[in-house]
Amino acid sequence: MARRSSLTYWNEQFDHSMQLPLKNVSLLTLWPMLLAGVWLMAGVFTAAGETAVKDAGTTRSSNSEKVITEKDRAFWSFQPIKRVAAPSVILKGWAKTPLDQFILAKLESNGLVPSPPANRLDLIRRVYFDLIGLPPTPEEIEAFVNDKSQDAYERIVDRLLNSPHYGERWGQHWLDVVRYAETEGFEYDRNVADAWRYRDYVIKSFNQDKPYNRFLIEQLAGDEIVAEEAHRLQLDATRFSIEKNQSVAAPVTSEKLADAVAEPQAGWEVAEMREMQVAAAFHRLGPVRRNAGNQDVTGSRNEVLTERTDIIGAAFIGLTVGCARCHDHKFDPILQKDYYRIQAFLAATHEHDLILATKEEETAWRSQTNVIIQQVKKLKDGLKGLKGDEAKRLRQKIQETENQLPILPAIATVRTDDKQRTPIHVLKRGDWESKGDQVGMRGLSVLLPDGTPELPLETSNPRTALARWITDPQHPLTARVIANRIWLYHFGRGIVKTPNDFGKNGDPPSHPELLDYLARQFIDNGWRMKPMQRMICLSTAYQQSSRSPQAKSAMEKDPENRFLWRFTPRRLEAEELRDAMLAVSGALNRKAGGPSVIVPVDEELVKFLYKPSQWTVTSDKSEHSRRSIYLIAKRNLRLPFMEVFDQPALIGSCARRESSTHAPQALELLNGQTANALAAAFADRLMRETGANPERQIDRAYWLAVGRPPVVREKQLALEFLKSQSLKELVLALFNLNAFLYVG
Amino acid sequence: MLVRPRQHHRLTRTRREFIRDAFCGFSSLALASILQRERVRAASLNPLAAKLPNKVPKANAVIFLFMAGGPSHLETFDPKPLLNQLNGQPRPKEFGEAKYQFVQKNAKLLGTRRTFKKYGQSGIEVSDLLPHVGQCIDDIAVVRSCYGDMVVHSAAQYELFSGRVVPGFPSMGSWITYGLGSESESLPSYVVMPDPDGALEAGLPMYSNGFLPASYQPTMFRPGSRPVMNLDLPEGVSLRERRQTVDLIRSLNEATLRPEDDEFAARINAYDLAFKMQTEAPKVFDLSDESQETLDLYGIGGEPTRDYGRRCLLARRLVEKGVRFTVVVSGGGPGNRQWDAHDDIEENHLRMAAQTDKPIAGLLKDLKRRGLLDTTLVLWGGEFGRSPEAQTSKGRDHHNLGFSMWMAGAGIKGGQVVGATDDIGLRAVHDPYHFRDIHTTILHQLGFDQDDLSYPHLGRNERLTLVHGKVIQQIV
Repeated sequence: MARRSSLTYWNEQFDHSMQLPLKNVSLLTLWPMLLAGVWLMAGVFTAAGETAVKDAGTTRSSNSEKVITEKDRAFWSFQPIKRVAAPSVILKGWAKTPLDQFILAKLESNGLVPSPPANRLDLIRRVYFDLIGLPPTPEEIEAFVNDKSQDAYERIVDRLLNSPHYGERWGQHWLDVVRYAETEGFEYDRNVADAWRYRDYVIKSFNQDKPYNRFLIEQLAGDEIVAEEAHRLQLDATRFSIEKNQSVAAPVTSEKLADAVAEPQAGWEVAEMREMQVAAAFHRLGPVRRNAGNQDVTGSRNEVLTERTDIIGAAFIGLTVGCARCHDHKFDPILQKDYYRIQAFLAATHEHDLILATKEEETAWRSQTNVIIQQVKKLKDGLKGLKGDEAKRLRQKIQETENQLPILPAIATVRTDDKQRTPIHVLKRGDWESKGDQVGMRGLSVLLPDGTPELPLETSNPRTALARWITDPQHPLTARVIANRIWLYHFGRGIVKTPNDFGKNGDPPSHPELLDYLARQFIDNGWRMKPMQRMICLSTAYQQSSRSPQAKSAMEKDPENRFLWRFTPRRLEAEELRDAMLAVSGALNRKAGGPSVIVPVDEELVKFLYKPSQWTVTSDKSEHSRRSIYLIAKRNLRLPFMEVFDQPALIGSCARRESSTHAPQALELLNGQTANALAAAFADRLMRETGANPERQIDRAYWLAVGRPPVVREKQLALEFLKSQSLKELVLALFNLNAFLYVG
Repeated sequence: MLVRPRQHHRLTRTRREFIRDAFCGFSSLALASILQRERVRAASLNPLAAKLPNKVPKANAVIFLFMAGGPSHLETFDPKPLLNQLNGQPRPKEFGEAKYQFVQKNAKLLGTRRTFKKYGQSGIEVSDLLPHVGQCIDDIAVVRSCYGDMVVHSAAQYELFSGRVVPGFPSMGSWITYGLGSESESLPSYVVMPDPDGALEAGLPMYSNGFLPASYQPTMFRPGSRPVMNLDLPEGVSLRERRQTVDLIRSLNEATLRPEDDEFAARINAYDLAFKMQTEAPKVFDLSDESQETLDLYGIGGEPTRDYGRRCLLARRLVEKGVRFTVVVSGGGPGNRQWDAHDDIEENHLRMAAQTDKPIAGLLKDLKRRGLLDTTLVLWGGEFGRSPEAQTSKGRDHHNLGFSMWMAGAGIKGGQVVGATDDIGLRAVHDPYHFRDIHTTILHQLGFDQDDLSYPHLGRNERLTLVHGKVIQQIV
């Protein structure tokens, strides 16, 4: 449709679309409309070279405001996503996909040659870890190596993309981006009510290949959409409680929720609504400081709004808007005012713990809770005057009693409350006590025509409006940012090396046309990730060997492998490493979803928690060997195993994991409890499967752990070792090999 | 080996990407010699290889004596006669406003029952809580005008360690390790010795490497029989067997090593370091080679100084081994087991000071007589001070607007007082210094300008000091 950059158009569209005309439509029909609404707004983006509309009458910008120039707007990442054709190449027959033409053209123009195809052993291991985060079994490897059909590899890619484990691997990437953790950090490190539901929502969304624009809208504004729907159904919109209206669906409790999801016919709408409320837990995932005593309400509110604004900038639009909190952005055309205008979309957003229980369950919970609170109060009274060990024992008792506080299934979500709208001011130096002008909601200046007005303060469903702005197909950043993230996870580095910074201080794209091609395709494919990932995995570039016969000269020309003259080997991430050890040793519990697991850790470590009782180990031991994504993400106690292998700190958005190499990693894998317990399990498995024959043990161990047979020298060394050492020590050594820790 | 880096900015590169000089015609070389070269290069790839700062340093190690919970400046280093005169009265208006966590606006001022005495040639006044430290005052520069931004523990502790009031940013120990690497191959370069009494509000994230690679994480020396995690062999495995396993790992890795993968070589090297750590690190805990006189100097022979004294002595031993940054925490567990004297400032501070005064003085004297104080910077302080107002009747609340910290050693000019609070100790009014100024001064003594150490994170080249800090020129 024609692009119209007019202010009235912006206003009209927002005004109309704010009041969703939802008479007698279900959520099923709501979605296409929402997305259509998005499409209608497309015209507000400023196109390159287009003369911006100036309307001094409606602009709210003050005289002191930094001016966005045409040069600012001309920066590559603010330009519309181009529709580009794949370039022509000299070397014929190499390119299997259009992506390869982009890659090859760059290699050729830089005097580089691609590497030969990876052997099948390397390739299957690579694609397994990449797509599902687990190693292939020896049987799967054998089947692939012996499968001479043309589409053998293609079928593996498709199978993995459809595996339920795919979401567990790719969901983790997203959890990194959105700073997922289940506790609030700071001194209380309180649990966010059932935050694991958000983790399951993410895994499910990836497995379903949910359109990314929808995925973002749900996370930014799922609760608002549900509130609209509830309003339409004349339900209580503030405490949306489906059980109040039995005609809509049966009461839903936490256990029943899972059933409802599993059986779309029964209570489909309820499940869908719940899911969107869970998605909006996105706003609740950040660290939150709470304190006893005097409350600095305004200051605390400012901390929360700041955290929520920064994550939206970094995670969704790949701009460091957080840099503009204290002053106009130093490198990018982001005004300080822009920062607060984005924040204004969140001004009416408040925490909301939605109880998932029947009235009876809730009443029972309340009375139980009261009993325990009374008990604790009484015990605390007894503490006065006590000293030494007696006091210590009593404190212990208090702690234990507090631990008995029952938990009510809930969704930690947010809601928009128009009556509690925090006035948003530009804050001098970011200090909440130095208030400047009040601002309203609006997108970033550089992406809008000059003088675009802010939305009216009373605009309802403000986050829905923000979500639309972000997911507008004309938005030059959103699709590029996610396409780059996907590329990064497959190849180990992004086309833009700084995935959370597409600004001037970020890295310029190595293949700008390829990035636009990917982003365009992504949008054209309905914002679905799997088609893009399929194309990437099937590309010649991806299937290259990590060993190049021309390594020497290529290293001189392109030491960082920006142009992909080979596949870059990568160290397994912390979760992959633990999961691989579990899988190889035969101990992996593949159960999916549900409340997070707390595994035993060294008790000295638990004592570093201000409330050690927060680390209550999951009683069912079979849960301890579940995939790492299901282990609790507690801010104040991260598992040493994860920490030492560069799991992010769970505080801000992590776009790319570090991959460090240091002695404590070796100590963890040599002496750590996890490594030794799993090495023992691995040895037992080998005994079971191969008996006492050392040669067979070694062969099988190599196939399981590194996906290939041992070379002659390796076998000699291992045989020699087994003469004086245990099988357990041998397989512990295998866990420590580069061949195990890396995929090439 | 010592590597002089051009600069410490990471500029969005992975370590692997730095290796541009990797290939210069090795094809004619024998495999053994390739491996030899790999080892040499791997050593330079060690993120903890010792590095030189950009300027000539005065310090090469830091010991932070962390008085957790917030020690009162009014009872230690900042005598306020007027406060005693105004005891029981509301705060006079001319001193301005303050925000507290618990104390209400109508609270009354609380005088101190401590007496102050002039010590040393400098004649600096120190309270009767700290007679031993008083004897060292000529080596100490007392900064009476410190301030921070937060009045609750966790956020203030984050700011003290990382310059940010939120978790997730690297602590000063991690920054310094990032900048200087480790002088020691057998010990971690950044060590925290927590108080056995329990945890602190900010928890482990306070000490953490934040977004820096895990190689810069702290190592906790924990109370109990297994102070360092993963240093003990698993049950039933002997050191000789473990040596064999480590050798096997090396041989197996080398069997398929490809020269282009420098990171692989670095990992092979990490196992040698790990083994060294395993065999040599435990020696640091064995105090049998210390003289009785030394043990007595730290108060290790008796209570209540035994534990903190032992940890202070360990700190000296770590410095001798080349450890860069050591935190010795006083206080842990419930508030009153820290310096967090809400209920009774007398009872709390008498107890906490008695545990730490002699050990700290012992540490300073011991470092000095061994010549280590010339290159070791000692920092003392907590996340804030305490309120001039009474909480309940005889306690003091948290207080971040003006309080005392001190530094000694490594070129710090001792025997002087820097800055001042007002006459009731409410607010730093002369030469106020923020935590970031303390950080900047520490970096300065280590040979770094605050901009020398930065790391890209979410679009910014982050550094320890959020906005520019000042070097406290008077003491350097």
